[in-house]
Order: sequence, then structure tokens, then C-alpha cells
Amino acid sequence: MVTYIVRRLVTAALILLGASFLVYLLTAASGDPLAEFRASSSPNKQQLMDSRSALLDLETPAPLRYFKWLGGAAQCLVPFAGTCDLGKNIAGQPITDALGHALVQTLTLVTAATILAILIGITLGIITALRQYSSLDYGVTFMAFLFFSLPIFWVAVLLKEFGAIGFNNFLRNPEIPLPVAIGVGAVFGLVAIVVAGGDARRRVLMGGTVFAAVSAILVYFSVTLWFKTPGLGPVVIAIAGVGLAFAVTLLTAGLRNRKALQSALIAVGVGVVAYFVIQPLLSQATFLMIVLLAVATVLVGMGIGYLVGGYDRGQSMRAAAITSFLLGLLIVLDRFMQAWPAYFNNSRVRGRPIATIGAGTPNIEGDFWILGLDSFTHLILPTTALILISLAGYTRFTRASMLEIMNMDYIRTARAKGLSERTVVMRHAFRNALIPVATIVAFDIGGLIGGAVITETVFSVRGMGFLFLDGILHVDPNPVMGVFICVAITAMVFNLIADLAYSALDPRVRVKA
Amino acid sequence: MRFGRISKAIGVAAAAALALSACANTNTGTTPTSNAAGKQGGTATVVEVNAFNTFNPNTADGNTDINSKVSYATHSGFYYIDNQLNVVRNEKFGKMEKTSDNPLTVKYTINEGVKWSDGTPVTAADLLLQWAAFSGYYNDADAEGKAGTSYFSYAGDPTGLALTDFPEIGDNNRSMTLKYSKPFADWEIALGGPGIDIPAHVLAKKAGMADTQEFIDHLKGMPRGDAKAPKPVDSKLKAMSDLWNTGFDSKTLPSDPSLFLSNGPFIVKSVNQDQSLTMVKNKDYNWGPEAKLDEITVRYIGSAPAQVQALKNGEADIIAPQASADTLEQLKALESQGVTVEQGNQLSYDHIDLNFYGVLADKNVREAFMKTVPRKDIVDKIIKKLDPEAKPLDSQLFVPAQPAYADSVKENGSAAYQDVDIDAAKQLLAGKTPEIRIMYNKDNPNRVDAFSLIRESATKAGFKIVDGGLGASDWGKALGKGGYDAAIFGWINPGVGVSGVPQIFRTGNGSNFNKFTDPEADKLMDELIVTTDRGKQDDLTRQIDQKIWASAYGLPLFQSIGVDAYSDRITGVKFMPNQTGVWWNFWEWAEK
Amino acid sequence: MSQPSQQDEIVAEQANLKGQQAAGIEPVIEARGLSQGQIVRKRFLGHSGAIVGLVVFAIIFLMAFTSVGYAGIPGWWKYTHEAVSPLANDGAPTASLWPLAWGEHPFGQDRIGRDLFAMTMRGAQQSITIMVVIGLIAGLIGVAVGALAGYFRGWTEAILMRLTDIIIIIPALLLAAVMAQFAGRRDEGSWFASFASTNGVLALGIFLGLISWVGLARLMRGEFLTLREREFVDAARISGASNARIIFKHILPNAVGVLIVNVTLTMSAAILTETALSYLGVGVKSPDTSLGLLISQNQEAFTTRPWLFWFPGLFIVLICLSINFIGDGLRDAFDPRQKKFNPKKARDTGSPLAPGQTPVAAQEGSAGDRAAGGGAASGDKGA
Repeated sequence: MVTYIVRRLVTAALILLGASFLVYLLTAASGDPLAEFRASSSPNKQQLMDSRSALLDLETPAPLRYFKWLGGAAQCLVPFAGTCDLGKNIAGQPITDALGHALVQTLTLVTAATILAILIGITLGIITALRQYSSLDYGVTFMAFLFFSLPIFWVAVLLKEFGAIGFNNFLRNPEIPLPVAIGVGAVFGLVAIVVAGGDARRRVLMGGTVFAAVSAILVYFSVTLWFKTPGLGPVVIAIAGVGLAFAVTLLTAGLRNRKALQSALIAVGVGVVAYFVIQPLLSQATFLMIVLLAVATVLVGMGIGYLVGGYDRGQSMRAAAITSFLLGLLIVLDRFMQAWPAYFNNSRVRGRPIATIGAGTPNIEGDFWILGLDSFTHLILPTTALILISLAGYTRFTRASMLEIMNMDYIRTARAKGLSERTVVMRHAFRNALIPVATIVAFDIGGLIGGAVITETVFSVRGMGFLFLDGILHVDPNPVMGVFICVAITAMVFNLIADLAYSALDPRVRVKA
Repeated sequence: MRFGRISKAIGVAAAAALALSACANTNTGTTPTSNAAGKQGGTATVVEVNAFNTFNPNTADGNTDINSKVSYATHSGFYYIDNQLNVVRNEKFGKMEKTSDNPLTVKYTINEGVKWSDGTPVTAADLLLQWAAFSGYYNDADAEGKAGTSYFSYAGDPTGLALTDFPEIGDNNRSMTLKYSKPFADWEIALGGPGIDIPAHVLAKKAGMADTQEFIDHLKGMPRGDAKAPKPVDSKLKAMSDLWNTGFDSKTLPSDPSLFLSNGPFIVKSVNQDQSLTMVKNKDYNWGPEAKLDEITVRYIGSAPAQVQALKNGEADIIAPQASADTLEQLKALESQGVTVEQGNQLSYDHIDLNFYGVLADKNVREAFMKTVPRKDIVDKIIKKLDPEAKPLDSQLFVPAQPAYADSVKENGSAAYQDVDIDAAKQLLAGKTPEIRIMYNKDNPNRVDAFSLIRESATKAGFKIVDGGLGASDWGKALGKGGYDAAIFGWINPGVGVSGVPQIFRTGNGSNFNKFTDPEADKLMDELIVTTDRGKQDDLTRQIDQKIWASAYGLPLFQSIGVDAYSDRITGVKFMPNQTGVWWNFWEWAEK
Repeated sequence: MSQPSQQDEIVAEQANLKGQQAAGIEPVIEARGLSQGQIVRKRFLGHSGAIVGLVVFAIIFLMAFTSVGYAGIPGWWKYTHEAVSPLANDGAPTASLWPLAWGEHPFGQDRIGRDLFAMTMRGAQQSITIMVVIGLIAGLIGVAVGALAGYFRGWTEAILMRLTDIIIIIPALLLAAVMAQFAGRRDEGSWFASFASTNGVLALGIFLGLISWVGLARLMRGEFLTLREREFVDAARISGASNARIIFKHILPNAVGVLIVNVTLTMSAAILTETALSYLGVGVKSPDTSLGLLISQNQEAFTTRPWLFWFPGLFIVLICLSINFIGDGLRDAFDPRQKKFNPKKARDTGSPLAPGQTPVAAQEGSAGDRAAGGGAASGDKGA
């Protein structure tokens, strides 16, 4: 195992050397660094060209310049020496600084999008696999391919026009006319008909219920101007909590496991009480506090499960822990909603919360909730765009993986034993189907920091992609190399992790030692 | 990048300001600016394309438009340039007077009470530092850069100030007197404005000098640099110039406040790297036009559609996107929500130049080609949507805003090329079908479209047009190297200012890419350079214009259009043709 | 950047190793008495999504190549993508649904009067050209490298695979920028520069093809690694077949499913790559045009002259969608191991197939699908 890893790392280093040399030469050959001065009629044109030449060291041939660069870059390998030198960009900023900043920008942009795309993609993939060749399957396949086929800058422009400008206009006077409410309800109803399984009667019933519920909620929102002062309140949280308790128990333990259901419901009860208790605490929230509270919530959930016990204590603990975690999320969501009016009327926001550009409102001041909302309103559009286009891959991949597993002998064995369909799907199929998906996810995380060039351009986020593109446009190899090195190293490391994880998760795959 | 660097905002504005002063009345757009004075206080968000990266916008690497604009808002000087391209003196800051014509002598006096935001008064030392940097007085590096030292890496043109001797400092370090060895037409804008941006006392201290007096004395003691006899490096000046060159580069707010001292209406409060920059009012400032806003935030957005959408969504108050018909139309659509749109001519124009060698060496062929260029059609299709009044540009040396333009157009012979005349072109060609390769920048849609229209029309007269378009990074290199017969490109400085004319049109000069040569025109240009009288300059320029047209040089096509727009929250924004853009009167911006 | 793409394929590779075990356990009933080709054809034709995709693509292909002409052959449409004509209807589309009319400029015109229909068709030509070129080049190199590495192993494998590793981490954007450079240099005299400047799209396709083969190579190597251990290969070897014969006659036909599926998906990703590159200014250059260039040039016209934006966009989506569905159908058709999983049937065994579910259409979910799923995920949209 160790030999394998060492060998992989050594090869990786060699590959990195070779590839970086190529990339350097390519960047140097990709354009004319003096282009902007060529057609100038300025009397000191030559002087400007000379100074740019000196800045980029154009006198030295590109291969030699690479070794100069490598000399500086090699110092990065010395740990804690702080001598890392990746050169400077044209603006005179050290690449190491620029990279650090760009990395943060990119990660804020893509992290949520990737996590959500993975979660939604896997869920959809499993559902479509279980309902292969149903109308739902065809619908999801079509939508996935459709979104995959859309150029992202197209999606982005549309999102800005309708998701930001349109929605903000709506927020000015958030009244939903009755026909619109009914229309939206009808759309949701139709979706429900497609999604719902079973015979026609059940589907229509389902569709009708959803239609009525959605329309009613929208009318209620409109009447109470809910969008101006949104909130869930303890009642909604309690009702939703009970629903969650049932759903979580159904998935993790099965409703027949009364003890598990019991502990989940107790967790909901505790959560609703906690809702009132921690409100003052939440008013002074910090990020760390929220994390600690989340940990505490999960621990309390596990504690409840442990105390309730039952024949399978583990299941009860799991059900209660997941339920209380989700309930905690609801409480946090409610607190964010409470902060909404303050954010909405903030003098920097001026009643147009959803942003089309950037990663935050300049100079905004406020507590954790206001700042959190600010990030949220800025990230929602790019995140949506990224999710839409990357959903296809995960959905199709999970679906294929799940279908293959469902055809396996051990699944048949499990069924033959008389296990319930839930147990077969959740315990036997789902986990095994996730093995290849898990490795894909590892690869994707490795590729994450490469940034999303076009998304960054459209939403004016100056992350890794922008740095890279800007370097190419100025024919300046330093930023290009900086981004390249970061991306290549993470990609290779995660590549290795993925391979190791695969062999760890699936004992049939062995790494060659 | 498309928006590129400017070759020093002031530099271009300079020549333009002199030549266009008292004329350049730009089309102020369809919605006249309301003169309702806004209230005191408030905030505005301005959108810029590039991100801020240095507090010294004068260096070769720092002179992007955004750096110049931030510097403009945070510093003051003896003058600024208004949107009529006049040089406006700021007497509250100090006095700048010509004390003698022969030799040309200029005296700068800074008023009492003008001070940096750390309390140190602004003195002649600061002006002396600017002079030392702008004149290149101490540089003694030879052309190959092998011997000697180049101290300050200044982006602008040093030729004017290079004519001066070491200035005389007086009046308790409040005044400085410059003596020119030859008359210099641009003396007014050579030094001391629009901002004195680098504090000498900070530089002196960081370079290990006791105070500004030591700095002055030190400079005084150094002789003028001579590239033929390079001296060893002067370590103190080197330390200062190194600081000047790179010490002010920062993408974040430096922890050392002396690196972003202000002596103007605003002072930088925060810099959010690559996202935004915020300036707040400088409370001490009372030596110049006083700002109405309390705070200006600059945000960076690259693409025009994103800028428009940001304005529409209220995230930006003032934008100046790259003009295109669609952008303008989108902005016009926003007028219903209170947005004001302004447009006007910019100082650049596109033109097609014909080579005086190769297939086009024959003047008849050049003339025939010029007769096929559909200038009206090009203007109609490319510019009309931006400016309904647009007409083809009819002079190689003047722009319509100048009074001399109309006269020049009457007599320069451009009347012969008003409309496409395929028959006349065919006659001139006499059955020949020359193959013309047209070079242009493929990445500039206006030039691509102009090319398409010219090809369409010229083909009718029998020309075989070859598409010689090159990519953004290659067409500039190809200029003047041959390999094409005609080139479509733009000059930023539209033949204004006396030094620009010979640069482009004199035989064998650097930017004379099509090898135009006319001994008489050369003679006229030599005379033009040494003429200081404005009226006489115009006369000479008119004659040169005539000569150029008579030789079938090529055709000017159209002037570029600029656009800016601002939301209903804001008032006081006005269009400006040069690179300072809407910023020129930022102190008049106000919340409604 | 292009990282995720190829990595997905490694997994697919491993999945493949696994899929092998499931093979042959379920006898495929509907395949009785039919040749491999017949089975594939039958299954493909039974996949409605793929058939619709194929028809749509065929229509677009015919329209694009016949309407404005290709390679000097004139087409039936009265305008070309470069011809300028007077603005009719202020440039707005003249096509109308009621009364059904085509009009002078059905898709409208751009600001100087070029016909958008002609430009869109030309753009579709270019996009299809790029797609095919990339598919061909990536396919050929990928198969060659993958086959050699997987079959001979040892040093050949080590060298070829390290080469793939290097190419995998070189960003496509950079290569495209270099390519755009060459295409812009007409007078440098080198044969490549002159070729690139006259055939910008072809050159771009070749360049992109030269870097997109890596995923396929890894996948093919995986296929070869498993297939070369199979009994029929041993049999061939013992009976004295040459290496070339074994590779081409025995192994390759068995890997053709994975190959075709992956190539189609590489192709659909290629269109989006071209779009993204043109958007970033390093793809096709005007006055020639491509679908990506058209929408990126006209993105400012989004609200003012939306037709300039919507028509080319529609064609990108249509081409992409149809290729994806064709790929989906091929994947189903080519995988002989697949069997439909039916939960209902699984629950109450013995019940007949649910109505409407033909057994023909009943293959899904194994190595091939994975590979393709990976391929789809890999779509380098440059996002």
C-alpha cells in the first residue's frame, strides 16, 4: 500500500513537471504580450513596450524563463520557510497572494453548488432507477440532458433577468394574483402527478392535493405579504418536524420500528422547546456557535435514541439524530427569515435583495444573520446555474449504477429472504450503488478549484477561472502557471484518494502494490 | 483586453484638451441632464471594468483607467479638464502662471492650508517629486539598458518636461519655477494636475531621509542624467524611485496609511480585493470643488450586459459600458424606471488606410477603391443606432466638434467620396481587377462589419477582396509590415495636437504605416510643430488635410460613440469624451 | 477545465471490470437467433428517444449543409452567411406561424443586414464539423492508445498512460488560445499557420480532438485489460493469430459498444466546448461564424433583438439534445448484458411484464451506461 502511494506520488511529480513545462511554453506562445501597444501612436510607445518586455522578461527565451520560474516555485516545497515565489502578475501582485484570494472566491462560489448538485443528482438518480422507463424517468432524463445542453452564460443571463430583477420587482409588492397562484399550483400538481407512482387514481388524488395545497399557501403568502416578513414560527416547525420524523424513520428504520419513531418524535418535541430557549442565544450567533449547536443537536438526538432504546438501539439513535439535525436546520432557517426584513430594508440593499453580480454587498454591516443572508442572496443565482448544468452527470451516473446493483444476485437473495423493499433498497442496493458515485465525487472535488471560468465571468466573481483567463489574455504565464499548479496538484491528489477510496470501499478492486 | 490600458488618461486628454478646448461640444444624449441640485450627503455605486491595483497610476504598469480615476478622486492639483475639454484652473489649490514667454517659464505656487490627509502640508517637494518622475531628468540608461539607471518608470510622454532644467524652489517651499529651453505648447498640462498624487515626505522617510528638505537638497545636488556618460546608481534616489514604481501597488487597503494619503475630495476607506473599493469624503478638504456625496463605491463588472443588469437591479448607480446598439437600446428601455442615458462622441475614430505600395501604389486604383467604400452605409449600420445624427467623418485631422472641421471639409476634397460610385470606380480601374487584401482586427465587431460592407461594395466594382483579418493579438504586429493592401483600424488620438500629426503622416515616421509620403506635406508639418499660434496651426493643419486627401490616402470612417447611464437616485453625472469618463465631475454627483 | 471528465472514466473502467461478472448470468431471451448487429439494430430502433434524436439531427444536418452550401457548392437558400442585404422588417424575423410564411429573412437579420438563417445554418455546419472532427480524432487516437496500452502492457502501457496523464491536466482553454493564435497568423509562412487561418474550424476541431482522446484511451485500455484475459482471446492466440488480428478481429468488436457510446458523448460535449471557447474569444472568429460565436456576439441583444440570441441557442440545444439521446439509445442497444430491472416484477414474481414495457427496450444500467454517465458528467462546458 505504502509503496503504491509513494510510486503514485513520484509519478505525479514527474507528470507535473512535464505538464507544467508544456503549459508554460503554450502560454508564452499563446499571444503577443505587447499587443496593446502595437497600434498606439503615442510618442513613447517604444518605452512602454520596453518596460512591459522587462516586466515579463521577454528577452529570455520561454524555455529558460520556465526554469527561472521553476526555481522560484521549487521554494514552495520548503515547508514554513515562507519563500514561496510564483512570480508576479502584470498588476504587480505576487501570484501567491492572488491565488489565495481567488481560491476563496472560487470555493465560496462552487462549494454549495457542488454539494447540492451531488445530493439532488444522487436522489434523482436513485428515484429514476427505481422507476425505470416511467414518465418520471423520461422527464428527468429529458430535463437533465436539456440543462446539460444549455450554454451556461445563456442560463446565467436568463436567471439574472427573471430570478434577480424580476423577483426583486415582485418583492416590492409581493402580492400574488389569484390566477397566478392557481397556475403555479396547477404546475406543481402536474409535477406531482408525474412524480407520484401507483395507479391513475392515486396519481390524480396526489396531484389534486398538491395543487390545492400550493395554491392555498400562495394565496396565504399573498394576503399576509409573507415575502416581506417571512418566517416559519413554532407551529409550522412543529408540524414539519413531525413530518420529518416520520419520513426519516421510514427511510432509516421503517415505520414498523416503533421505538425509532418514538425517539424521532421525542427529538421533535425537544427541538420545539429548544426553539424558544435558544432564540436569545441565536441573536448573538457566530459561525462557530452555529457549528457547535449543530454538533450538540446531533448529540442530543443520539442521546434520545439511546435512552429510548428498543431492539435496535442504533436505528433509534440514527433516526433521532437525523431528525433533530433537520429540525435544527429548520430553526436556523426560521431565524434567517426573521432577519430578512432587516436585511431587506438595509440602506445598502435598498429593497432589492437578490444580486446579479459579486460575492457580497460592498460595505454591508450587520450581525451573522444579515451577513449570512447577504452571501445567500449573492450566491443563489450562480449556484442555481451551476447546479442545473452539472446535475445531468450525477443523475445519469447514479441511475446507471443503481440499476446495475438492482440486477445483482445478492439483491435477489435479499428479496428471496423476504426483506421489505425498503430494506433491500436502502440497506443493500443504495449503499453499494454509492461506491462508484463516491469516487466520482472525489474526482469532482479535486477539479473544483479549477473554478468555473464562464460562471465567474458572467457573475463578476474574480476567482481562479478569472485569474487563469486574465493571464491568458495578457499572455502572462505567471498567473496561468499558478492556477495550473493548484488545479493539477489537487486533481492528482484527489485522483489518488479516489482510487484508494474505491479499493477501500469495494474489496474486489485491489490497488497494484 | 478590449478595454485595455490607456496610454495615460491625462496624456491623451492633454493633447485633446488643447486642440479641442473651447469647441468639443458633444451630443449630450436624448435626455438632458436635470440640473436639480441634489442634496448633500448620500452614496453612489459606480461600475468600472478593471480592478484597482495601485495607488500610483503614473507607472507604466499601473496606469489603468481605474487607478487613474481613483487617484483623480482622491487628489487635487492646479487644474482639471472638463467635459468641454477645457483646462480649468483650481485657484483654491494654488496658482500656476506663465511668467515669461522667452524662455518659457512657469511658476507654480501652492496655497497655504493644502495638506495631505495625515496633516502634512502639500509643498513644492511633492511637485518636485512629480517633476523628477515625469521628466526623466535623472535617467542615464542607454537604449539597450546595459549601462546606467532608469529611475522612475513613468507611463507618460517625458518629451515636454525633458526640456526643463532643475526647477527653482522658493517661497518657503511653497513655489516652484520651471524654465523650458524651447517653447512647449502643452506647458499648461505638463505638471501639477489633475492630481499631485505621491507624497514626497512619505517617500523621503521611507528612503531614509530626514525630511523633505533633505530630499530637495539631494535632488538639487544631482546632475542631469546623461545616457552617454552613465553615473553609478544613486542609492537614495533609487530607493525612492523603486518605492514610487512598485511601493504603492496593492490590491487591498495597506496597513500603512501613509501609502494612501489623500489631498483631494475623497479618501479611500476600504478596498475589497477584486470586488469593490470605497471612498469617503475627506473632511479637511476645502481647496477645490467640494463633493456632495459622502461615499463613492466602485464595483468591477467586465461585461456590458452584466453592467446593464446590475444597473437595472439597483446594484449600480452609474455605469459606462462599452457602447453598442443593443446596450444602448437596453439602457433606453430602462428610462421608464428613471434611468438617464447619455451618449456622445469619443476621441477615437476608425479609418481605412491604403498602402502606397503594392497593388495600391497606383493612385487611380486607390481612388477607385475609395469610391467603393460605402461610408454612409457603414455609419448607418454601425453607428446610427447609437447616434441618429452620426455622419461619416470627413477629415483626416479634425473632428466635427472643432470649428476648423467644417472649413477643412469644404476644401479638402472629401466631397468626392461622399457616396459610393461604382461606375466611376470601374472607369478608374479600366477593366483591371486588382486583388486587395484588407487587414483588420477580427475581434472587433465594428471593424468586422465595416470590412463586410466594404467587401460587398468593392466587389461590385471588380475588386477582388481578400479577407486579411487577424486576431486581436496579431493585427497590431502586422501594421506597417506589409502583407496587406488596406488596413481598417482606429486612432485614439484623432490627429489633434501638433505632435500627433507628423507621428502619423510624416514620411518615414513611426506610425506612418502605409508609407504615405508627400514632400510638401512634410514641409508643412515641420512648420506646424514650431508654430504656437492656434489660428496659424489650424491653417497649416487644413492645408495638410487637403494634401492627404488629394493623395488618395484612405478614408476616415466614423467616430466612436461612448455611453453612460445612471439611476434615478443620482443626479449630476455628465458625459465626458476622454478616458476620465463620467468621473471628471464626481464632486457634482449627488443623491436626489 | 477538463479534469473531471477523464477521471470519471477510470471509475467506468473499474466498473467495467465488475460488470463483466454479471455478464452471461441472465440469458438474454429476446436475442435468440439474431446476430449481434441485428440485436443492436433492433434495440436501437426500439428506443424512442434515440429515434427522435436521430431524426432531429438528420433534419438539422441536411438543412445546415444544403441550405447555404458547403465547400464551394452553392445551397438552396438565397443568402450566404457573409452576404449583406438591406434590412427588411427592421431586422426582425419575417417568419410567422399564422399565416404560415417563411418570408425574406425567416430568422431576421443582424445589424448590418446579414441573414440570420444563413448564419445559423453556417454556424450549425461549423458546430457539426467540429463535433465530427473531434469525434473522429479522439476516437482514432483513443482507440489506438488504449488498445496498445491495454493489450501489450509493460513499457508501452507505462509510457502511453503517463502521456495521457500529462495531456489530461493541460487545460483545454489554453490550447484553444494557442490555436486561436495560429489561426490568426496568416503570413507567418508555416504550412500550419496558413492551414489554420483558412480552415479555422477544422484546425480548432483537430486541436480539441488531440486533447479529448485521453478519456477514451483510458476507457479502452480498461476494456482491453479485461478482454485480453478472456478465453476466446487465449483460443485465438493458441491458434496462431497475430497480435494485430487479435486486436482488430477479436477484441475490438467486443469493445465497440463502449467506444461508440463514449464517442457520441464526447461529441455532444465538443459542441458545448466550442460554444464556451467562442464565448471566451478563443474559438471561431468572425466573419466566419459558429453557433457559439453567434450567441456570444449577440448576448447584448438579449432583450432588444432576442431572435439573434434565441435561434442559434435553440440549434445548440437541439443538436446537443439529439446527440445525447442518440448516445443514450446506442448505449442501451450495445450492451448485451443488460436486462431491465422491474421492481414490480421483482415483488410479485411470475406476473407478466407491465404493459407498454417492451422487452426490447429493456436494457439499462451497466458498465456501458456508467461510462456514458461519466462521459456526460465529463462534458467540459467550461462552466
